[in-house]
Amino acid sequence: MAGHGKDYEKVYVWSVLLRVYHWVFALSIFILIATGLYINWPWTNTWMEGSHQWTMAIMRYIHYVAGMLFTMATIARIYLWFFGNKNEKVWDFAPITPRNIKNMITTSFYYAYLTDNHEHRTGHNAMAGMSYVMTILLAVIQFITGFYLLYPESSFFVGLGSVFGTQQTARFIHHILNWYFAIFAAVHIYIASWNDIRSPEGLISSIFSGYKFFPKGHH
Amino acid sequence: MDRNMFTGGLPGTISRRGFLRACAIATAAMGLPMEMVTKVAEAAESPERPRVIWLHFQECTGCSESMLRASHPDLATLILDLIDLQYHETLMVGAGHQAEAAFEKAIEEPGYVLVVEGSIPTGEYEDFCMIGGHSAEHNLKKAAKNAAAIINIGTCSAWGGIPVARPNPTKAVATGDIIKDKPIINIGGCPPNPHNFLSAVLYYLTFKKLPPTDIYGRPLFAYGRRIHDHCERRPHFDEGRYAEQFGDVGHRLGYCLYKVGCKAPETFGNCSIIRFNDVEVWPVSVGNGCYGCTEPNFWDTMSPFHERLPGVPLPVNGGTIANATDIGKKALGITAAALAIHAGIGVAKSFAKGKKKEEE
Ligand code: HEM
Ligand code: HEM
Ligand code: SF4
Ligand code: SF4
Repeated sequence: MAGHGKDYEKVYVWSVLLRVYHWVFALSIFILIATGLYINWPWTNTWMEGSHQWTMAIMRYIHYVAGMLFTMATIARIYLWFFGNKNEKVWDFAPITPRNIKNMITTSFYYAYLTDNHEHRTGHNAMAGMSYVMTILLAVIQFITGFYLLYPESSFFVGLGSVFGTQQTARFIHHILNWYFAIFAAVHIYIASWNDIRSPEGLISSIFSGYKFFPKGHH
Repeated sequence: MDRNMFTGGLPGTISRRGFLRACAIATAAMGLPMEMVTKVAEAAESPERPRVIWLHFQECTGCSESMLRASHPDLATLILDLIDLQYHETLMVGAGHQAEAAFEKAIEEPGYVLVVEGSIPTGEYEDFCMIGGHSAEHNLKKAAKNAAAIINIGTCSAWGGIPVARPNPTKAVATGDIIKDKPIINIGGCPPNPHNFLSAVLYYLTFKKLPPTDIYGRPLFAYGRRIHDHCERRPHFDEGRYAEQFGDVGHRLGYCLYKVGCKAPETFGNCSIIRFNDVEVWPVSVGNGCYGCTEPNFWDTMSPFHERLPGVPLPVNGGTIANATDIGKKALGITAAALAIHAGIGVAKSFAKGKKKEEE
C-alpha cells in the first residue's frame, strides 16, 4: 500500500444535496437540543415584570423554526436513500446485504483497535451506515411527535402523532429522543475525527467538499 | 354566579328565566350559536325526557358528587325537568330487592341513555365489583343491550382511571373495551366538570345524536383545545416567569406553574374557561398545577404530578423510577467517558508503535 501523495486519487462521493442536508441537519440539531432542553427546564427565571423578555416564547419559536429545517433535511435524506448517487443509496450502507454485514464485523474490530486493516469504501462503512439509518428513522419519530405537540388541533398531525399515544406520552418520547440525538452527535463527531486521524481519506473535509481520497485502484 | 340565578330566588324552584339561562349557558358550552338556545330549551322542555340509567362500578363516586354540586342547571332541574333518571344507586331511595327490581324494569324498554361511572374488573378479578350478586361486566352488558347511547362520566369508565393505574390489580378495563356496538362518548375528568356532562346530555336531547368527538371520544366542544392555551397565567409562561417551588416568591406572585409540574400544556379540556364550583376557580387559579386528569391513563403518564415528565423505570433495584432528564444527562456523561477512554487507548497504542500504520 503506497503512501505518497501522488498515488492517491480524488473521488467525488457526496452530492451537493447530501452535504447541504448534513449541515442543516447538524446545525438544527444543536439548536433543537439547546432550545428543547430550555423548554423542558426554563432555567432563566425572569423576575422582572413588565419587561419585554419573552424568553420562553422566543426559545419555543426558535425551536419550531429549527424543527422545520430539521424536518426538511430529514425528508431530503430519505429522498437520497432511494434517488441519490451510489454512495448515498440506503442499500450501500445499511447492514442488510452480506457485503455490509461482513463490513460491520471488520469495522467493529477496527474501531476496537484489534486490527488496523479496514475496507476502503467510498461511501459509509456499514457500522456508520447502521447508525445513520437509525438516526433518520428516529428523526422521523422526532418530527412527528414535534408536530403533534405543535399543532394539537390539526387532525392531520393528531392522526399521525397519536400513534405515540396522548400528547404527554408523545412529549415523553420526544424528550427521550432528545438524549439519543445528543449522544449520537457526541459519538459521531468523535468517530469522524478518529477516522480522519487514522486514515488519510480526508473524511471530515469530504462532508464539506464532497471528495474523499483513496489509494489508487483501491475502491 | 349563585344558585338564585336559576331558581329565581325561591329555594328548590326553577323560574322560567332561570331555566332559559341554564339552557343558554349549556348552549354556549356546546359552542353552538345563540340562536340555538330556543331549540335547546324546546328540547329540554319536551315532555319526552330521555330516560337515563346510571351505573356505578369501580369508582369513588366523585363524579356523582361533583354532579350534585352543579348549579346551572342544578341537580333538581336536571333530574326533574331535563332527564328521567330511572336508576342511580347513590341517589335513589330504594335499596336491596327494591333497587334490583327497579333496575330490571328500567332496562326493559329500549332507547335509554346509559351513564357509566367507574371501570370494570375482568377475568379472575371480576368479583372485585359485585352488585346485586352479579359482576360489573355482567351488569354492564345487560344494561348496554337496550341502550341507545352510552355516556362515560369520568376517566374511570372512559379509559380505566385510577383502577387501571399500574399495576392494575383488578385487571380493570373501560366501558369501550367491553361494549363495541353502541355509540359511546367520554366525559373525561377526575371528576369531570358537570357542565360538560350536562351539555353532552342537552346536545343529545336537542339533536338526538351524540356530539362530535376527538380521537379519544371526548366531545370537541369541551375537550377540543389545550387548557394551557387559555390559562390566565400564560403570559408568565411566555415571559419566562415561574414558581420554582410551592410557597416561593414566584408562587406567591402568581407566576406560571410549569416548573412545579403543571400538565395543562399537554391536557385537553375547558377547565381554564368554564372553571368549577360557581366560585370561578380551577386548580391553577388557586396555585396548583393541572394534573392532566382528562387524559387517558393520566395516573401513569402524568405522575409524578409535580414534575414535568413521567419517570423512566430502570432495570436496577427492582425497577427504580428515575427522572428522564437525569437519565439523559448520565447517559451522555457515560458516553463522553467511554469516548475519552477509547481516545486514550488510541493515543497509548500509537505511542507504543511509534508511527501510524496507514502511512507505511
Ligand atoms: C432532534 C430534534 C429535536 C430535539 C432534540 C427536540 C427536543 C425537544 C425537547 C427536549 C423538548 C422539551 C420536551 C420536554 O421535556 O418537555 C421539546 C419540545 C417540543 N418540541 Fe422538540 N425537538 C426536536 C425536534 C422537533 C421538531 C422537528 C419539532 C416540530 C416542529 C419540535 C417541536 C416541539 C414542540 C412543539 C415542543 C413542545 C414545546 C411546548 O409546547 O412548550 N421538536 N423538543
Ligand atoms: C460538527 C461536527 C460534525 C462533523 C465534522 C461531521 C462530519 C461528518 C462526516 C465526515 C460524515 C461522513 C461520514 C462517512 O462518510 O461515513 C458525516 C455524516 C453524517 N453526519 Fe455528521 N458531522 C458533524 C456533525 C453532525 C451532527 C451534529 C449530526 C446530527 C446529530 C450529524 C449527522 C450525520 C449523519 C446522519 C451523517 C450521515 C450522512 C448520511 O445520511 O449519509 N453530523 N458527518
Ligand atoms: S400554569 Fe400551567 S396552564 Fe397556566 S401557563 Fe403555566 S403551564 Fe400553562
Ligand atoms: S385542571 Fe387538570 S387536573 Fe384539574 S380537572 Fe382539569 S384536567 Fe383535571
